[in-house]
Amino acid sequence: MASSDRLERLFNLTATLLATNRPLSAAEIRERVPGYPDDKATFRRAFERDKEALREMGVPLILEPIAGRQPAEEGYRIPPDQYELRDPGLDPDEIEALNFAASVVQLEGVSGLGAVWKLRSIASPATASDADGAAGHDRSADDRPGESDEVEAWDVGALPTNPHLVPFFVAVAERRPAVFAYNGQTRTVDPYRLDFVRGQWYLSGFDHLRHEERSYRLDRIAGTVELGPGASFDRPSTSIPGARLQPWELGSGEPQIARVLVDGDQAHLARQAVGNDAVIDERVDGSIVVELAVTNVGGLRSFVLGFLEHAEILEPPELRREMQRWLEAIVDRAKPRPRALRTSRSTRKRTAT
Amino acid sequence: MSRVTAGERLQRLLAIIPWVAAHDGPSIDEICERFEVKHNELVADLTLASMVGVYPFTPDELIEVIIDDGRVWVHYALSFDRPLRLTPEQALVLVAAGSGLLTVPGVDPDGPLARGLAKLARTLDVDADETIDIDLGLAPAAVLEQLQEASRLRLQVEIDYYSYGRDERTVRVVDPLRVSAQQGQWYLQAWDHLRGGERLFRVDRVRAVRRLESAFDRPAPSDGLASFVAEPDDSRVELELAPAARWVVDQYPVEAVEQLPGGRLRVTLAVGAQPWLERLLLRLGPDGLVIATSDDLASDVAAAAARRILARYEG
Repeated sequence: MASSDRLERLFNLTATLLATNRPLSAAEIRERVPGYPDDKATFRRAFERDKEALREMGVPLILEPIAGRQPAEEGYRIPPDQYELRDPGLDPDEIEALNFAASVVQLEGVSGLGAVWKLRSIASPATASDADGAAGHDRSADDRPGESDEVEAWDVGALPTNPHLVPFFVAVAERRPAVFAYNGQTRTVDPYRLDFVRGQWYLSGFDHLRHEERSYRLDRIAGTVELGPGASFDRPSTSIPGARLQPWELGSGEPQIARVLVDGDQAHLARQAVGNDAVIDERVDGSIVVELAVTNVGGLRSFVLGFLEHAEILEPPELRREMQRWLEAIVDRAKPRPRALRTSRSTRKRTAT
Repeated sequence: MSRVTAGERLQRLLAIIPWVAAHDGPSIDEICERFEVKHNELVADLTLASMVGVYPFTPDELIEVIIDDGRVWVHYALSFDRPLRLTPEQALVLVAAGSGLLTVPGVDPDGPLARGLAKLARTLDVDADETIDIDLGLAPAAVLEQLQEASRLRLQVEIDYYSYGRDERTVRVVDPLRVSAQQGQWYLQAWDHLRGGERLFRVDRVRAVRRLESAFDRPAPSDGLASFVAEPDDSRVELELAPAARWVVDQYPVEAVEQLPGGRLRVTLAVGAQPWLERLLLRLGPDGLVIATSDDLASDVAAAAARRILARYEG
């Protein structure tokens, strides 16, 4: 059917279900809402599609028993208090800033347009108070921060999405435990936070299997995610930002304090990676000494080796020796010389060892 | 025909109606601009809205729409006086966009965006600081701003750049074509006068920027420039990886993967520059075994690099 006819029917359906003070059965809906086909089976199919469309838009369509019906019957309604966007009390410049953000930072495959329409729909408080002269707001809503040249300067690629992202966002907001498979095990997790770091989405939360806070890469979660009831746990006010952990911090136990010297040429990279607070010494030649709390020795080794011969572990002696042993083993292993491999793969020769 | 679905049109209309109703006859142009809708579509949708009613269709239950002299008035007795709530997707879009943009160096951490995001997050029952964190990429604020400005003004810059793959620092003149955040990193796409070609630079590896007064005139940069594209004549290395080193396959573009017994893998990788391979092998240690290398790579790359580093420890 034509888009306009369907729009009219959807609008009538929304209006009818919002205005009713008791749930309406499917038969009553067919009677009262103009635009539905007479044939029962055709009506059913059309009604199913309409319910789906309304739910996708965010319309809270609920199904509940109709009081006093014998035999028992269920009906539909839209509770007005659940339909409305709870007014966040945004000022016009705040609405425009959020709209601008949504135009710059996008989620791959998720349309932000509906969100922007809904925010723009909020009547600005400045308009109401203008009339009595009490407007204390500046009119910065008029100078849109979203004009073309600025958008060009803020060139941000769409963030990748993941099928589990929205369910986990709901789980974090509504404090619902999530059950999912990870590394071949079924986990029950109280989801605390979502992080997008180094191009990947992570979920952090309390893992009931491990009895500790953990983080999970969303793209490694296989299968479906099931959510439990809301308000099931309290979010700790200082949840550990799991994904923010550095490689040398992945691990438990008493941390060892390591000092690493990084040469001047690469000092700015080390500083960016560990943060200014970790820099305990700046030498005249531009090199720096950083202090790290290490719970994962392999992680520290990878970090330091990333600087090749431009960095070294100074302390403690055990970690310094561990690095030496690691490198010596690499030198020793290289003794039997590997075969040659041609550049072009088609002419590569293989010989049995 | 418009590609907007009936559901999207209804969503837009349900956003337009409360806003128009709260204002005294806004102009059609103003509504079109605010909700990004075409003039004829708006009039068609509003006309349709005026036909909506509720059984038994008494006049006081209809939406009244008046379009007169380029302005619109809406009066109604239905519950359309408030915007529709956000779907979880829409809430996520706004929160993720807001917190992502806030991490960009140079964005006012106490400005309208931060205030708006905090208010919105509160109504959604999420704490913008503690429940979601979007890191668009590390970058020194001053460097990022200088590059963005030079790119906008189309002025050449001289950058002091550390090439991680080659493990070398060079100063070069580039034409900054585009600064963008992709996959958790800030990149500068530029015409590189040192190498004579378009290159992608990581902004966090730019040590210093000096803006030159010389303007450049180049077409828009090509899309989809990858940070590393293997060339047929690049060096190749064939590695055998222990199960613990399978992350290599996730992290780097491997050209061939062969499953071996016991969860081991044999992979072929293109090597853009030797220091890159040195780091990889040093980190892998016993988990990565070099099976073969192309002629132009020394076969004991890892051992040679390990000896250079060991010299520091023995000195």
